[in-house]
Amino acid sequence: MDDQGFACAGIRPLSHGPAPQKQRWYRGKPIVSILLLAGIILGCLFCNAFIPKDPTYMDLFHYDEAPGREFLFGTDAMGRDIFSIVWYGGRLSLLIGFSATAISTAIAVVFGAVSGLAPRWLDAVLMRLTEILLSVPNLLIIILIQAILGKPNVLSISFAIGITSWTGIAKIVRTEVRQMRSSEYVLAARCMGGGFFHILWRHLMPNFISSIMFMVVMNVRNAIAAESTLSFMGIGLPWEVISWGSMLSLSEKALLSGSWWMILIPGLFLVVTLLCVTNIGNWLRKQTNCRQSNL
Amino acid sequence: MSETILDVQHLTHQFRLTKHTTIRAVDDVSFQLQRGEIFGLVGESGSGKSTVARCIMNLYRPAGGRIFYRGVNVCDPKQYRMHKNMLQTTRQMIFQDSTSSLNQRMTVADIIMEPMAINHIAPPGGSLRAEAERQLHDVGMDASYLNKYPPELSGGMRQRVAIARALSMEPDFIVADEPIASLDVSIQAQIINLFKHLQAEHGFTFLFIAHDLAVVKYLCDRVGVMCHGKLVEIAPAAELFAHPAHPYTKLLLSAVPIPDPRLERARVLQTFDPSDLQDTGEMREICRDHFARMPVEGVPH
Ligand SMILES: Nc1ncnc2c1ncn2[C@@H]1O[C@H](COP(=O)(O)OP(=O)(O)OP(=O)(O)O)[C@@H](O)[C@H]1O
Ligand SMILES: [Mg+2]
Repeated sequence: MDDQGFACAGIRPLSHGPAPQKQRWYRGKPIVSILLLAGIILGCLFCNAFIPKDPTYMDLFHYDEAPGREFLFGTDAMGRDIFSIVWYGGRLSLLIGFSATAISTAIAVVFGAVSGLAPRWLDAVLMRLTEILLSVPNLLIIILIQAILGKPNVLSISFAIGITSWTGIAKIVRTEVRQMRSSEYVLAARCMGGGFFHILWRHLMPNFISSIMFMVVMNVRNAIAAESTLSFMGIGLPWEVISWGSMLSLSEKALLSGSWWMILIPGLFLVVTLLCVTNIGNWLRKQTNCRQSNL
Repeated sequence: MSETILDVQHLTHQFRLTKHTTIRAVDDVSFQLQRGEIFGLVGESGSGKSTVARCIMNLYRPAGGRIFYRGVNVCDPKQYRMHKNMLQTTRQMIFQDSTSSLNQRMTVADIIMEPMAINHIAPPGGSLRAEAERQLHDVGMDASYLNKYPPELSGGMRQRVAIARALSMEPDFIVADEPIASLDVSIQAQIINLFKHLQAEHGFTFLFIAHDLAVVKYLCDRVGVMCHGKLVEIAPAAELFAHPAHPYTKLLLSAVPIPDPRLERARVLQTFDPSDLQDTGEMREICRDHFARMPVEGVPH
């Protein structure tokens, strides 16, 4: 454009002020939790590099052995090396935690956004539906789904956990979307011809992501815990598919024989992971609260 | 000025507040826009101007009446779907409050590129970003703003970004809903001049909604006056300001402050009783192109 027929007073070129003082980057962050969690996740991911034994190999000569030089954390009732299987099984536990959360978050975001953008009557119907779902015990639904899907495996467990844990997030998404939907940038996007998923992805999601972040992280925690509970109760993964939960499912026999390491080691890994995730989640929640009050 | 680009016929819209109460925000409004003209819509707050604009842009479905844009009845879902692409690319809207009409979490470049990205338009300037830069330049801002977020800009700059976004589609028709109401006076003047300049350059048809009469007088070719959901007078801008026919228009004009204190003291505020706006009124042509709403008997109030 060579036409400069108008003056634009009042627009100054940007001045670059002095850079803000460097703060210690780790201040106020849950550094211990992050490091521990990162250690556990990386350890599980790359366990093949350092575990001394084949985690599926059952050493019939060394079952129920206390922690010692050869078996760092001892062996379980099947003669598997606990040090090896605790890292190896962590993979599945974490995988289930994350994939169940991905499933539940995806359902929650789409459901919440549909409900938030829908006319009032449809919104009411959808919300009553979530309340009905909320009032049915999760365990019942999971057992039902397991019965339908057949023999439990990683995918079906993730699916069952994911499908029972999205209602809380969906309610938050719906409330936020309801507030945003008549804001002018959403109207503007609609005028331009943006479809449902465009508006959801570009305009709504970036604005509500911080308020569901805490719930999402907590969902990871709940999913890992749910997998352990289910496996412990014997309706989750079978004992030959190694995860923290299925390791714990052997513990009742271990209690009888007094082999504490069989419960304590996977339990410790589980509890430390859950605590770290909770800690990070709480920090995230504080962050979003701060940001909102700063506005 | 011959081709009618927008034809609003007997537009009616009501909002349902509870089961029993509805408000008629827009009541039997008809007007036409010719290609290339600037049409001003004025009226006090709550008179239904925004509702008219949103009906025209398909954001509300009107309760009654028809809206033809280039011969397409946009209120008819079937016709709307058939011409969806044309309607979305050639009509654009600019909102009152640039703080809320720009998503705070998108950069200026993303905001300006958004309509082109949605409609898969091949940008004439090469890449989308180059095109965004050109549009930004057109509204008087330079490329250093491309990576800024709206909260980092001043109100006037934000409104310029909103204008650049609307213009990036090279639309034929722009609806601006009080685009300067949230700005301070000196910035208002800039934006008005920018509109005038851009309209002369691009030749788009412009529906400009305002409640500031001075701005309308300066910018618009024709003006419609709304009161309580009804259109009470339409006339060319000069004619309307010289010979207002409807009592409500007289009231609006008499309420404009006069810079000269002596005249200002002598100014008499006209009175107008809104209950005079009977349902039975109809638009009459007073003189050429000048219509005013009169009771059916033919005597203005
Ligand atoms: N979403 C809505 N729900 C219910 N009533 C509404 C809604 N939007 C507008 N109204 C009502 O419709 C009437 C016209 O509103 P509108 O926003 O069109 O006025 P306006 O002329 O644009 O006013 P302003 O100059 O303040 O923007 C008002 O009485 C308003 O209360
Ligand atoms: Mg308005």
